[in-house]
Amino acid sequence: MRHPNRATLALHAGGDLGAWANWRTDRHVARCAECRQEIAAFRAARRELPDAAEIPGVAWNRLAAQMKANIRLGLTLGELEEPAPREAGPSAWARPAAVFAGLATLLAAGFILQHNGPHPIRASQDVEVETTANGIQVRQGAGALGLLHRGASDIDVNYTPGAQGAMSAQNVDDTGHVTVTNVYAN
Amino acid sequence: MRTRDAARWVVLALLAAPALLAQDYPLPAGSINVSFPGDSPVLFSGLTDQSRGTARGSAMVIDLRVSMVLRNVSANRQIHGVTLRVVSQEVAVGGKGSVTYPSLHVGPGESFPVRIEMQLMRPTQAVNGPLVQVSLDGVLFGDLTFYGDNRLNSKRIMTAEELEARRDREYYKRVLQETGVNGLRSAVLESLVRQSERPRLDARVTRGGPSVASSAAPVQSGAENFAFLKFPDSPVAPVGGSAQVSGNEARDPRVEVRNNSSKDVRYFELSWLVSDANGQQYLAASLPASDPALLLKPSRTAQAAQDTALRFTRNGEPLNVGRMTGFVSQVEFADGQMWIPSRQALENASLMRLIAPSAEEQRLTDLYRRSGMNALVEDLKKY
Repeated sequence: MRHPNRATLALHAGGDLGAWANWRTDRHVARCAECRQEIAAFRAARRELPDAAEIPGVAWNRLAAQMKANIRLGLTLGELEEPAPREAGPSAWARPAAVFAGLATLLAAGFILQHNGPHPIRASQDVEVETTANGIQVRQGAGALGLLHRGASDIDVNYTPGAQGAMSAQNVDDTGHVTVTNVYAN
Repeated sequence: MRTRDAARWVVLALLAAPALLAQDYPLPAGSINVSFPGDSPVLFSGLTDQSRGTARGSAMVIDLRVSMVLRNVSANRQIHGVTLRVVSQEVAVGGKGSVTYPSLHVGPGESFPVRIEMQLMRPTQAVNGPLVQVSLDGVLFGDLTFYGDNRLNSKRIMTAEELEARRDREYYKRVLQETGVNGLRSAVLESLVRQSERPRLDARVTRGGPSVASSAAPVQSGAENFAFLKFPDSPVAPVGGSAQVSGNEARDPRVEVRNNSSKDVRYFELSWLVSDANGQQYLAASLPASDPALLLKPSRTAQAAQDTALRFTRNGEPLNVGRMTGFVSQVEFADGQMWIPSRQALENASLMRLIAPSAEEQRLTDLYRRSGMNALVEDLKKY
């Protein structure tokens, strides 16, 4: 098992890694006790830092920026002198592949949600009649005709299916008139 | 922490994807075409057509809302029912709908508002011409005469509704006359409780196609016989029948009936009850005669048979079909007269708690709920 380098673990402990690197490191740490200990040590060190903040007259923000710049410079020089072992995780082509996979998942999920929303569209060619959230409808394949009784509570609507392929809904509308809607499969 | 934030963003993006893809826009006027015959006893006016389309990927969801005022322009007849036919041939092949206004008392020159809300789903976004055609299927008058082309059998349907309306109106008038306002209040409250506690099922009816039954528990499938409730005065009596039952699905119901009257019967209809595992009964469906050209002679038998599948759920869970019961709920004679069960017969068979209230009973009890006892008493005194 290849371990993330110490800089990565340190940045992970401080929550400063990017989302992708953070996810990869999380996965590794979940099954690596050694790295977990390393991160715990970095976190313990971080907990002591607030005490240092009590020291007056120190420009901590500027100092932090300088330290971060120095760390990055050191890491870069180290990489130039001696190639660091590659981090555990996917190879170079895997990242764009993962991005594309994510986009594909997003589009697929959007498509599925769109077609499985409150009014599902089925590929079946059977003619069906059924109740819906606020009405009744006849449906065949991707087409449907629904008659709605918006505003009426479920308890006030009386549905009666017809075994010949029909559905009836009876309710009193806001004018006080009874309305009976029917849909028919043929 | 960052992982959690990133995951949150991904979930939000996934949830927003359909909304981002959807585009909502108004449709041009004329999406709904309303046309009545030239000699119609009702005319429409004040037509408003508010329609919007929402593109969802390659499909399109169209919300159509039409409001208008219908006016009785007949010389001297009171309108008791109107049925409008709603057809969108290009959306669901063979599929159609109707909107009926029963329990009306609209005199000559009087008018009443109607509103129809529809939703269409189309596989394409192209909109050319009217999407929905609304036309008059029929008008029922107080003397039970009828006007219209009756393509949806609205004459029979509205006549049965009118007979039920008269039956239940008479019941409440009699209660008022015999027991006064307090007795009427008790009867109305009893009805409201019954309506709210009526056990209900969700059903889906499919014509053709394979069986896709599911079940809440292991079940056996096979033919299940109907038990029958028989009313002494029913002109038609069920003889036997069965349906193929598997889990929450009942297929191909078939019931044989015998004409016990002395008149030819043109149509009959049964109500179909199912029980769950606990013995709780539900109104499952109506089961009409299958032969559109039926003419059932006295002492002869005929079948109500439908090649459909009904799947039942309750609170989103499949409801295993147990015992099945049927009773005759409507008969139309060849001379146009109709029979429906009396209120007393329904009460004696403990069916009032299972069946839906008539349109008139629902209207009267709703009037009491919205406007109080005085409004109800005034209404009962009017007609």
